[in-house]
Amino acid sequence: MPKSGRDGGASKDSKYDLSKISARVDRVNVSGLLRTHNDYVMRAADGLFKASNFQDLMLEAMSTKSYLHELGIFKDVSVHIDVSRGADASPQGYEVTFKGNEMSRMMGSAGTEIGQNEGSLRTELTIPNILGRGENISLQGSYSSTRANDLQLKFWKPFFHTRFKENRPEMSFSIFRQTDRFDISSFQTTNIGYLVDFSAHTMVGVDLTHSLQYENAIRDVGLLNKSVPFAIRDHCGPKLASLLRYSVVYDNRDGNVFPTRGIYLKSVNEYCGLGGNVAYTSSTAHGELNVPLFAGLVAQFCARVGVVKETKNTTQLPISSLFYCGGPLTLRGFKFGGAGPVVESTPIGAQSFWCTGAHLWAPLPFAGVFKNLASHFRMHFFYNIGNNNSFSTENMRSAFGMGLAVKLAERARIELNYCVPVRHQDTDRILNGFQFGIGYEFV
Amino acid sequence: MTSQYLSQLITADKLSAEPWPEDATLYQPYEAEQILLPENASCLAVKAYLKMCNLPFLIRSCANAEHMSPGGRMTKLPFIRAGAFIFAEFEPIVNFVEQKELAIGSWQDEDEKADMRTYVSLVENIFTMAELYISFKNERVYKEVTAPRNGVVFPWPLNHMQNYGKRRNALRLLKVYQWDDLDIDSVIDKVAKCCETLEYKLKESPETPFFYGDQPCELDAIAFGHLFSILTTTLPNMALAQTVQKFQHLVEFCRFVDEKYFQTRCLPN
Repeated sequence: MPKSGRDGGASKDSKYDLSKISARVDRVNVSGLLRTHNDYVMRAADGLFKASNFQDLMLEAMSTKSYLHELGIFKDVSVHIDVSRGADASPQGYEVTFKGNEMSRMMGSAGTEIGQNEGSLRTELTIPNILGRGENISLQGSYSSTRANDLQLKFWKPFFHTRFKENRPEMSFSIFRQTDRFDISSFQTTNIGYLVDFSAHTMVGVDLTHSLQYENAIRDVGLLNKSVPFAIRDHCGPKLASLLRYSVVYDNRDGNVFPTRGIYLKSVNEYCGLGGNVAYTSSTAHGELNVPLFAGLVAQFCARVGVVKETKNTTQLPISSLFYCGGPLTLRGFKFGGAGPVVESTPIGAQSFWCTGAHLWAPLPFAGVFKNLASHFRMHFFYNIGNNNSFSTENMRSAFGMGLAVKLAERARIELNYCVPVRHQDTDRILNGFQFGIGYEFV
Repeated sequence: MTSQYLSQLITADKLSAEPWPEDATLYQPYEAEQILLPENASCLAVKAYLKMCNLPFLIRSCANAEHMSPGGRMTKLPFIRAGAFIFAEFEPIVNFVEQKELAIGSWQDEDEKADMRTYVSLVENIFTMAELYISFKNERVYKEVTAPRNGVVFPWPLNHMQNYGKRRNALRLLKVYQWDDLDIDSVIDKVAKCCETLEYKLKESPETPFFYGDQPCELDAIAFGHLFSILTTTLPNMALAQTVQKFQHLVEFCRFVDEKYFQTRCLPN
């Protein structure tokens, strides 16, 4: 308790204006470091030494605590603020001590994971803080309805302790084995390879998240049936893909799952052909705009577009890189891949596609009664329009309907929609009625 | 059981109803650069058979022919695409042609046909295993011929991985047929015995060029495919070729079939 507050405090205000109490940080201690190198936590104290009053000191202490958590080395962090003592103590001097409890040498977890229109069972074994600066190695295995027995060994290293900590740079290297099944086209792709990932934020005007990846993988296309159209059989066999992938994300929405305002933009670009025998360029862009209306209503507009092109005359576009249009995440009212080109009555991917969605989101009726539960649910009316291999309005597909959406773990959502396809082609696989979707990026 | 049999009957009816498609296509690896000795023998056998039946077909070479194939007992190659149907390897293709009642050998009686089937099975097993043995078990042949040819269509390091996988499969197949612990002399001995049997069969009708008289049959096609491939393929180890060359009637047979079905059509072009 500051001594100045004790004098006459009882006779005056019952509250203290902490910003009027001058303070100075003499010393910052971070204890609990066993495997961690000191320099990894050095920058934690930068903000604290600039505090000139007690309120700033408190706020900076809280943000430093969050920062230490983000470094990924502590299970939990506690803060103690004490009066500075000793011969070199200054008047109004304080000592701030952070007590951290380091993560154990090995951690395991098992749980479920949400992917794009799939759920999976995932197990993970992590060795955190392996080199003393936040690095970790994790071994991850998952089994899902549409993927089979994926495996990944990943080494991740953050650079949050450098002078670029505002940009949150991180690097990772992973070795993976991943199987993608395309049941409607009767083939699957097994990818074995490695991935180098570098990601960072930039704050030039707007906050952007950049990710640059280099992937080198052997892609083996195998068939799931004996009778498969020859256009698909033509793609069988292993190929070596060597590609650069760049993605950029801008997100100023006020929520991930049920935003009421804000814009979300994402672009993923791939260049494949740095060696290997696969060559193409691929670009995908996704946009979302949310506009609040009245009485809790929100208007939402979404759009997505993708183009893939071959870059060398000698190679063929890999079938696993084509776009599958249709499904609860792209065009509701159609089955997955059911709004795309068809060969011998089997859906095959498209080289380009676009789809848009307009939504009217509303809270549930009686939302006030079950306030906590109701915040996880929303109703929506939607209209989806899209097409593939063509950017004209001829031969468009469209559907409308309404549905109920549930938030899932602050990241993904489940949709149960009643769909009415409006425009479709003869070869399309429409779904008139109830459709279920799960994922984290919807149109 | 009943439904399966009925399904087979329906398939058989469907097969025989359609005529031979004009655009029937035979898929094989690249002949000059990629194809291996066992695969070349199998492809040549199928080509010879189709030519003997006077059935037109196109040839398409592609790097992933083996992976496109629906599979089979031995090399998985070649496979034929005829309309909506795809068949791989010699025997299924022969069965497919016979379903359409276009086959050579329809003049044979049941005893003769059964006899021929025995020879076909013998030829296919002995020669294919010998070819696999010399290609994958002999270290020098593997390093100088098999591995470079099989890996030519894949970029590094995928070529090494494909070679490793293919060799492992070949060695596994040799083990299944109990050829993996033979030495080269035993292999040569087996091949020599098979050639001796074939030559004896050929000599049974010395005035006719084919194994069963004036007209060719299945056995002529498959024997030609294997013998001609062995004779015309240059390897660091020519033990197989030297063995076959000792049997003059077989060499003459190959020359005759080659001139009759493969050379005469090429010369006018």
